[in-house]
Amino acid sequence: MEMIEQSDPISAHQTNAGKDRLRAFGIITLNSMFAQKDASGVLRMAIEDLLADELAVVSSFGADSAVLLHMVSKIDPNLPILFLQTGRHFPQTLAYVKTLSKRLGLANVRLLAPDSDELVRFDPDEDLWKSDPNACCHIRKIVPLDKALGGFGGWVSGRKRYQTEERGALSHFELTSDNRIKVNPLAYWEGADIAAYKKTHDLPEHPLFAEGFASIGCAPCTSAVTNGENPRSGRWRGLNKAECGIHFDVNRRISPAMNKAELTLFRDGEFVADPWGKWVEGTAPVLARYVHVPLVEFVVNRAAYLASLHPLGLLVGAGDDVMEVASDLGRFSSIAVEFPAFTDGRGYSSARLLAERLGYKGELRAVGDVLADQIPLMRRCGVNAFVVSHAATRKALEKGVPGRIDVFMQPAGGDEIPVGTRAFVRRAPNFTVSTP
Amino acid sequence: MYRYDQFDAEFVAGRVAQFTDQVERRISGELSEDQFRPLRLMNGLYLQLHAYMLRVAVPYGTMNSTQLRKLAHIARTYDRGYGHFTTRQNIQFNWPRLDDVPQILSELASVEMHAIQTSGNCIRNVTTDQFAGAAADEIIDPRPVAEIIRQWSSLHPEFSFLPRKFKIAITGAPNDRAAIKFHDIGLMAQQDEQGKVGWAVYVGGGMGRTPMVAKEISPFVPHSDLLAYLESILRVYNRYGRRDNKYKARIKILVHEEGLATLREQVESEFLQVRGGVLNLPDDELSRIKAYFAPPAFKDSDARFDLAALKVSDPEFARFVLHNTNQHAQAGYTSITISLKPVGGVPGDATDAQMEVVADLAQRFSFDELRVSHEQNLVLPHVAIDDVRAVYEALNGAGLGEANVGQITDMIVCPGLDYCALANARSIPVAQEISRRFGSARRQEEIGDLKIKISGCINACGHHHAGHIGILGVEKRGTELYQITVGGNAGENAAIGNILGRGIVAEEVPDAIEQLVEIYLKARSGAEENFLGTLKRVGEAPFREALYGND
Ligand code: SF4
Ligand code: SF4
Repeated sequence: MEMIEQSDPISAHQTNAGKDRLRAFGIITLNSMFAQKDASGVLRMAIEDLLADELAVVSSFGADSAVLLHMVSKIDPNLPILFLQTGRHFPQTLAYVKTLSKRLGLANVRLLAPDSDELVRFDPDEDLWKSDPNACCHIRKIVPLDKALGGFGGWVSGRKRYQTEERGALSHFELTSDNRIKVNPLAYWEGADIAAYKKTHDLPEHPLFAEGFASIGCAPCTSAVTNGENPRSGRWRGLNKAECGIHFDVNRRISPAMNKAELTLFRDGEFVADPWGKWVEGTAPVLARYVHVPLVEFVVNRAAYLASLHPLGLLVGAGDDVMEVASDLGRFSSIAVEFPAFTDGRGYSSARLLAERLGYKGELRAVGDVLADQIPLMRRCGVNAFVVSHAATRKALEKGVPGRIDVFMQPAGGDEIPVGTRAFVRRAPNFTVSTP
Repeated sequence: MYRYDQFDAEFVAGRVAQFTDQVERRISGELSEDQFRPLRLMNGLYLQLHAYMLRVAVPYGTMNSTQLRKLAHIARTYDRGYGHFTTRQNIQFNWPRLDDVPQILSELASVEMHAIQTSGNCIRNVTTDQFAGAAADEIIDPRPVAEIIRQWSSLHPEFSFLPRKFKIAITGAPNDRAAIKFHDIGLMAQQDEQGKVGWAVYVGGGMGRTPMVAKEISPFVPHSDLLAYLESILRVYNRYGRRDNKYKARIKILVHEEGLATLREQVESEFLQVRGGVLNLPDDELSRIKAYFAPPAFKDSDARFDLAALKVSDPEFARFVLHNTNQHAQAGYTSITISLKPVGGVPGDATDAQMEVVADLAQRFSFDELRVSHEQNLVLPHVAIDDVRAVYEALNGAGLGEANVGQITDMIVCPGLDYCALANARSIPVAQEISRRFGSARRQEEIGDLKIKISGCINACGHHHAGHIGILGVEKRGTELYQITVGGNAGENAAIGNILGRGIVAEEVPDAIEQLVEIYLKARSGAEENFLGTLKRVGEAPFREALYGND
């Protein structure tokens, strides 16, 4: 099997054949030519007739991808298969690209890598997905795909109507805004059809499918979904984002860029999108991902949470005792300390115990009644992120961290100057001890 | 005394700048009163019945003349020419304008004073013995430790939003003049068998609607561990103190509900973790702070008062010496208490002119040192015995020569309904009436030491629970009534007074006090048996009977 590492367009030659064909057939005619679930028919027609020699498949090698790729392999195993090598995939996905390609005999899988200069420039710390997932998708998906598609008159996607509301009006053939034909053979397939097809053809599952992932994208932006949840609800969970922008339809129904005012998480001096969602009472521990699990819930189902492989947060309520999870802190990528009212100072003790006594080094966020004038105190107790809803506090933070206290009368944890470099209880830069 | 270094100065300047900004935001309307409230409280600014009130901290009651002059200046410039010294060794200004407050704070900062943490649910100004560093009965001067506690507790990031306010008092003498057992934490100097000095720690004392005498949580905590121990208590309190009911939120309730043993266990286990860490107080740091409180350059002198002779030659002055001086550790010196309780006056008030006089005297006769006592008087701690006469005359000239310290007219009195928004009843006019009734020197002499304390409501700012005779303003169907208690004691044998019976109206209060005093004078075994002694011996019954008959 041949795999081509590729980040440049394969060829710059522009084709008009696709759209001419489409015009010739007329999109309405085209879309009424096939029975709704005749995916193979649609695919064969696109490959052999409509877009012969100028068609590619774009596949995520996700949970359902095997179905479409299997059909492709039966028609033309040499058809170019484009896989967006975003650099942020689960290792399981990368392995799956290999095993599935081999199994199906796909001979022309092309890995599209993002531009390395752009990565260095815009995402040096690999955390752009947190602060601006749209920009991240732009660099890692849209630009590479745009470049690669330059040589094609159209492409095949595995989208299905039932996946999201936006996809509810999907048809077999679309004319995209950049004048390409997009072919959606599976448009009318249901979850059950997919499952049945997989079974009939004994297709290998994506390794993460068994763990509750129904729609799989990049690792940071994917979480599992619960039974009954929309399969794609695990993507960009908690963010106002449903499409990564590569499915730029005629109707332009991709999610808009996030409004600045919707960014509520203040971290490292700026407001960023909060990748964490709200824990919902009753969520099975194995399905909890990217949520702050209440401490009491965690303690009750401790073993199940510890067995789960997914990013997990902890919510420390005002009355909770953090010492109860002292040995589990390594499990959490974020801990939220709750301040139910600004006058309730219990969270300060919890934060110090976490940061100082227990040595927790990850994100420690304050949630609840987080106000400007308390933030300096919280910082001194080790809190390093703040979920802010209070408008005036937001304004103050946008102007710069308010009331930053830079001389301290007593030692507390955090990034302060170590003991021994100044008078006993004090903390400040450039301070010398005086005597009467 | 302690002097700010660059660090303290920056710290306070930063707070002034911060509050100036907050006041501007309030005045511009950006902050609502609701949002401004916690911020102003952190800076000691209350909204009272008629106006804002600014409470300025006098750390552990110690000042110099420059500072007192500044307070006089503030009283004159921004207020109505007086200030009110409180039972927390602070001073309150009752009529500042909001837009003047930032200016007042920066004037205070210029003399190393501030209003930080004089209110709010944080660790308040640490109070101590007004004779600290001077008293003959002292084991150790508590002020260096008080200063270290002040630093540790200033804007403590963890303990700025406690369940409720938190008060610490510390005394270096076995005779407790700081009412430590009525504080959330009381510290009393102790000497172990090797002569090492440390602190007995009492916890859970307080007044208010559930008065409690503090209990000993640890008999001896060495200097080096003191902050770690305090931090442990505060952490346990911050985490477990009740927050559902503000009247049950003080640590005394936690002690009461959980029991001292449980609390001690929690504190000790926290202490095991905290001890020996960053809060360990190194000896050289203690010495560094101690150096600020080095005794002044006393002159060798063997001057003493000859009271017997004075009583004949100058009975007025003899009275002053008897009541208003306290035995000094240094031969030839004494501490003078300046009574802010002139007969018929407002207890604790001092005019700007009086403050200037006292500041001059401190400068001339007391090594520039001054104290505020929790009994709302001022103190010149180090006066040469040979100078006392001169001081006395100067004080008399300023209307400050009242020789009533410790006597029945030296009352602790809260502001009451004249100023306080929470009050049920007036306290100042009642105090003034009692003071007039017992004003005569001979009468007071006859009665001896007797402490009356008056609060305008159950919050007990006037410490009525701890009064030998306590008076509490209550309200019943729109009428101001007063309950009388007897048997309270703020000293080392701390006790809470018992209510004698139903409330009486203001006009009846002086008579009632008079009756109680009469019973005492009749029943006492001799002049040396004070009110509490007699009460203990004869019980409350005769006193109750005197007020309410046999019903
Ligand atoms: S899916 Fe997530 S990680 Fe991948 S490109 Fe988009 S935002 Fe970035
Ligand atoms: S005791 Fe009551 S009336 Fe008096 S000052 Fe305190 S709160 Fe006000």
